[in-house]
Amino acid sequence: MTRPLEPLRLDRRQLLKMGLGAGAAGLLPLGSLQASTLSTNARIVILGGGAAGMAMANRLSHRLDGARISLVEPRETHHYQPGWTLVASGVWSPEKTMRPNANFVPGGVEWVRQPAVGIDAERRRVSLADASVLEYDYLVVATGLQLNYHLIDGMSPDLVGTHGIGSVYASIEGATRTRDAINTWIAKGSGKGIFTAAPTPVKCAGAPLKMTFTTLSRLEDTGHRNDFQVDFMAPGAGLFSQPWVNDFVKQRFDDQGVNRRHHYRLSAIDPGARQAEFTFVGPDSEFTSHHELRESEFSQEGERRVIADYDFIHVVPPMSAPDFVRESDLIAREGSFRGEWLDVDIHTMQHNRYPEVFGIGDVIGAPINKTAASVKAQAPVVEANLLAQMQEQPLPARHNGYTSCPMITGIGKAMLVEFGYENDFDFLPSFPFIDPRDESWTAWVMKDRMLQPAYYAVLEGQA
Amino acid sequence: MTIQGALTILMYALAPFLWLIVAGVGLLVAVQLVARLRGYRTLHHRCKLASLASLAVGLSGLWWIPLFTNSRLGYVTTLFDWVAMAGAVIGLAFAAWLVLHPLTYLVRAPRYVRQKGTA
Repeated sequence: MTRPLEPLRLDRRQLLKMGLGAGAAGLLPLGSLQASTLSTNARIVILGGGAAGMAMANRLSHRLDGARISLVEPRETHHYQPGWTLVASGVWSPEKTMRPNANFVPGGVEWVRQPAVGIDAERRRVSLADASVLEYDYLVVATGLQLNYHLIDGMSPDLVGTHGIGSVYASIEGATRTRDAINTWIAKGSGKGIFTAAPTPVKCAGAPLKMTFTTLSRLEDTGHRNDFQVDFMAPGAGLFSQPWVNDFVKQRFDDQGVNRRHHYRLSAIDPGARQAEFTFVGPDSEFTSHHELRESEFSQEGERRVIADYDFIHVVPPMSAPDFVRESDLIAREGSFRGEWLDVDIHTMQHNRYPEVFGIGDVIGAPINKTAASVKAQAPVVEANLLAQMQEQPLPARHNGYTSCPMITGIGKAMLVEFGYENDFDFLPSFPFIDPRDESWTAWVMKDRMLQPAYYAVLEGQA
Repeated sequence: MTIQGALTILMYALAPFLWLIVAGVGLLVAVQLVARLRGYRTLHHRCKLASLASLAVGLSGLWWIPLFTNSRLGYVTTLFDWVAMAGAVIGLAFAAWLVLHPLTYLVRAPRYVRQKGTA
């Protein structure tokens, strides 16, 4: 099925040529040096055309000659989701975050405009909504995740923008309506806002914090910040995975008059009465990305509950892999991600039981890494390891857990927080001249102006 | 990061402002070209007004560059922030000077011609 790459054999003259050409090579795109392709007639199915799926479609189409690559993605529009916090904060217009998917789907890749509804890992088949079936030799699971608003009694994404409810995660329309709900609250001139976090791993784990910080900026700009009460309800003791940033955010919240309450999760909402119910989840439930709360635990009886009135509430729903992934044999069977997330080796990105399956992006069971920046780091690893797997060679690449969160600490300033798995989520700064501990204008400009172009380069497999 | 990747990022970053960049470069080239055809030489023409105006344009960046980036000058705090801001201000002043300096020559050119004729 697959013809392996020929090993490089160089004689002395070729080595000399390479030496002379080394300087010029530095000026060439690295991609051209890596342009060796693998001839294969393998059937590759990529589930999902978000950041991860689109990046893999482009990368694999560049590296594979003769492969039959199918990209399963029903949506026509690509959403730059990292921009949604800026939309919900009134900084960006919603239009700025949308582009046609057709701009990014590479030639030679079959774009299947159907949602996937099932995976039969044993028979290597993917079922689609129109009852058709895609068979594969290799599968890349890049479905993203599922927002489980239904686990909060009374809550639905349709409510976002009404009754003082906001939720930046819901959709671009939801982010826009969240902006409007915050505007309405601020225009009222006083009142109580509650910001929440979810008791599960979430995508862009900094987003609930960013929404709090940008709203605080806007409240301070009114000149009568003291007329507004701001509460943050966290399901665990922490607010962020990276320890230094966690301490920083807690201190900053305290300095800015945010009332922090820990070990409470949002369990129900009464939109008409503008009341939210929070359930005490106990001090053992640390808010890290390792949560083991299962669906049944969301509705335990006899827990301590608190009813809180609000004028505005920012809802962060529990999240998980999409249902059709959870119902497949690809889901984790044990450990902290069991039943909720894709079962992959977090370093090689290969499925732990099905070697022909790789996972990338939000869907994987990993302690951190549900960001577009993680996709940037994961995509070359999946590419290299998938090609090695196709040639029955050892997997050469390892993901170090790199992720990045431009932690917006106010409208106009941010911290460029980059970290990975090692040494208790130690910092992994990309730029020696930007200290991840510093709030800076430069980090904000990167978030506001540069990360979206970098994101599109990732989609095109160029970064 | 490959050069191709860097170029892709640059392309996406500059695309919304392409019209502005083209207009600015067009203005600069047009003014330089016309002035040089009429005898303008960079080092021979002295004009304090052009230099002061260019400086003012550069310094105005301290106000509108943060605004342009949805921020404020008060958030320019770290050493690298100031290096980046200083670079932007100097670049802005230099670009303004490249336009204003020959422009002042063109405005005064008839006077130069008269002075030469008188002599």
